[in-house]
Amino acid sequence: MQANYKILEHPSDLGIEARGASLAAAFQNAAQGLMSIILDLSTVESSEMRELAVNSSDLDQLLVNWLSEILYLYDGQRFICRDFIIQKLTPTGLKAKVRGEIFSENKHRTKLDVKAVTYHQLFVQENKNGGIVRVYLDI
Amino acid sequence: MFKKFDNYRYLIPKSYKQGMRIDGLVYADDELIKQIEKDQTKDQVANVATLPGLVGRSLAMPDAHQGYGFCIGGVAAADADEGIVSAGGVGFDINCGVRLLSSPFEIKDVKPKLEQMLNQLFRDIPCGTGRKGLLDVTKTELDNVLRDGAQWAVKNDYGREEDIFHIEDYGKISNADPALVSSHAKDRGHHQLGTLGSGNHFLEIQVVTDVYDDEVAVRFNLYKDQIVILIHSGSRGLGHQVCTDYLDIMQGGMRKYNISVVDRQLACVPIKSSEGQNYLKAMAASANFAFANRQMITHWTREVFQRMLGSGDLKIVYDVCHNIAKYEDHEVDGFRKRVLVHRKGATRAFPKDHPALPEELRGVGQPVLIPGSMGTCSYVLVGTDRAMKETFGSSCHGAGRAKSRTQAKKETSADQLLKEMKSKGIFVRGETRSGLTEEKPDAYKDVSRVVEVVHGAGIARKVARLVPLAVMKG
Repeated sequence: MQANYKILEHPSDLGIEARGASLAAAFQNAAQGLMSIILDLSTVESSEMRELAVNSSDLDQLLVNWLSEILYLYDGQRFICRDFIIQKLTPTGLKAKVRGEIFSENKHRTKLDVKAVTYHQLFVQENKNGGIVRVYLDI
Repeated sequence: MFKKFDNYRYLIPKSYKQGMRIDGLVYADDELIKQIEKDQTKDQVANVATLPGLVGRSLAMPDAHQGYGFCIGGVAAADADEGIVSAGGVGFDINCGVRLLSSPFEIKDVKPKLEQMLNQLFRDIPCGTGRKGLLDVTKTELDNVLRDGAQWAVKNDYGREEDIFHIEDYGKISNADPALVSSHAKDRGHHQLGTLGSGNHFLEIQVVTDVYDDEVAVRFNLYKDQIVILIHSGSRGLGHQVCTDYLDIMQGGMRKYNISVVDRQLACVPIKSSEGQNYLKAMAASANFAFANRQMITHWTREVFQRMLGSGDLKIVYDVCHNIAKYEDHEVDGFRKRVLVHRKGATRAFPKDHPALPEELRGVGQPVLIPGSMGTCSYVLVGTDRAMKETFGSSCHGAGRAKSRTQAKKETSADQLLKEMKSKGIFVRGETRSGLTEEKPDAYKDVSRVVEVVHGAGIARKVARLVPLAVMKG
C-alpha cells in the first residue's frame, strides 16, 4: 500500500504532510504517518477497536488534538492505533473508530519516541480536490 | 538583519519585525551566526520579543537553533506581576536536563570492563520508546513523586541524603500540585519513571581530559583522567502531556485575556491568571518527575559500578534543568525585580554567593553542564556575575543541532557510525539503529565553539572537558 503521507524535515525534529480525498481522509493519513514514525506498523495487527471523540475550537486545534489523542493511546494506554476511520469531522470536533492492538516488546518493532504534536507551521486545508494537512512533531 | 555588538553578541533591534516590544540578542561568533541564520532562529527570537510583559531582551544562546514557537537555546524573562507565562516557552520536555556524577575511578580502572559495563547499564536502565520502567508506581505514589521529586526517590532508597544538595532546587520545586496534572499525563508517566527515553537522551561514561580551572574543579570534585557519568533525560510522557494539555488550555486563555500571538506555539496567558498559576504548578510537578527520574537512573548506575568495579560511590556534581520557567530576582533597568525566567534549551548559570546555591557551592558558583554529541566532548563550566547581569543568570545547554534527522540518516549508516566510534575508542549501544545515526556527532554544531563563545562572552567560565568512552542511547 502506498503511503498517503510524507515525512517533512525540520532542523531537530520531523513533520508529516498528509493528503486525502477529504479532510477526514487527510487526518486519518496524518495519524498513520505519526504511528509509522514511532513503530514499524507492519508488525501491528488490527485486532482491537476503540472509539474516540476529540473536541476543539477550530480545525487547526482539531488536528493537534486528534494526533495528540492517538499519541496518548500509545504512550499512556500502550494501544497502538494502526487503522483509522473518522466518521464525523467538523471544526469543533471529530468522532472516530481506531483499530490496533496493545504494545508488546517482543512483537512490535519500535523506531522513535515522539514527545508531542506542535502548532509550528501547522497547515489544514480542504478544497475541491480533497484535504491536505501539515504538522510538526517534537521528537 | 543582525547588528554586530562585539565578537560574541548580535543584536536584533526592535525595528526588525513589527510588534517587537523588546530587542533580541544572540550570542554567537562569526561562524555560529552563519549557522543560526540558516534556519528560523532569528525570527523565533523576534517573535518571542512580541509577547506582552517581557523585560530585558529576548535572548538566544550560541547553541540556538530553530524550535517550535521559541527557538531552542532561548531565554526570556517576564515581569512577575504584569507578564505572561508560555507553556511553549518551556517546551514539551519539561525539566529535560543533565546530571553529572563523579566517580572514584580513573580511566585505567575502567577501560578493560567498559564494554561489559555498557551492556549492563543497557540491561538495567530502560530506554527507547515502549519499554516500561522497572517499577510501576500506583497513582497515589505517583502523586508523591510529583510533589517531592528527587527527595521522594531518596526517601525510597534511590539515593543518599547528600544527593539533594547537588540538584537545582534541591530536586523539588515546591509549588507542585499533582491535582493539576491530567489523568492522561499520569497514564503516560506512571510506567515511565526511571526510564531514559529516546531521541537525544543518553547516558555516557566519560573521562575528564582537560581541567581549565584547578581551583573550581577541585571544589566540583573533578580531576584529570577521572571517570564521570553524564545523564541526559527529562520528564518523559508525563511532562510532554502536561505541555500538550496546557497549550490547549492557553489557546482558550488567549481568547479570554485578549492576547494574540504571531505563532500559536507561543500561546501564553498572564502569570497571575488561574490558567497561568495552574500551568506553573503542573509544570513544577512535571519537573519533579524529571528530578526523580534522573535520581533513579543514578541509583541503577551506582549499582552497576558497585557490582562491576567494587564501588558505587558516585557523587552528584550537579543536576541542571534545560527546559523550565522559574521565579527569580534579577536587576532590570537598575531595579531589582521579580521575574519569571523561561529557559528553553538553556542552563541556569548562577555565580558564587547566590543564595539559591547550597552552602558548599556558594563560595565557587553553580556547575553548568554542557553535553556535546556522542563522538565529541562535553564541558563543565561555572556560573558568573556577568550572566546575572546579561542573561538572567543563563547559559547554553549543548551543542545544538546542525543537521536534520533525515539528512543525518541519509549520510551515514549505523554500521559506518559504529565503526567510526570504535576507531575513536568509544563503545556505543542504542535501542534502534536509526535512532543512533540521527544522533551522529556531525549532526550537531561544534560544542567547543559554542562553549568558547559562552566563555568569551563571560556568561559562564570553562572548568573541565569530558570525552565519552561508552555511550548508551535511547
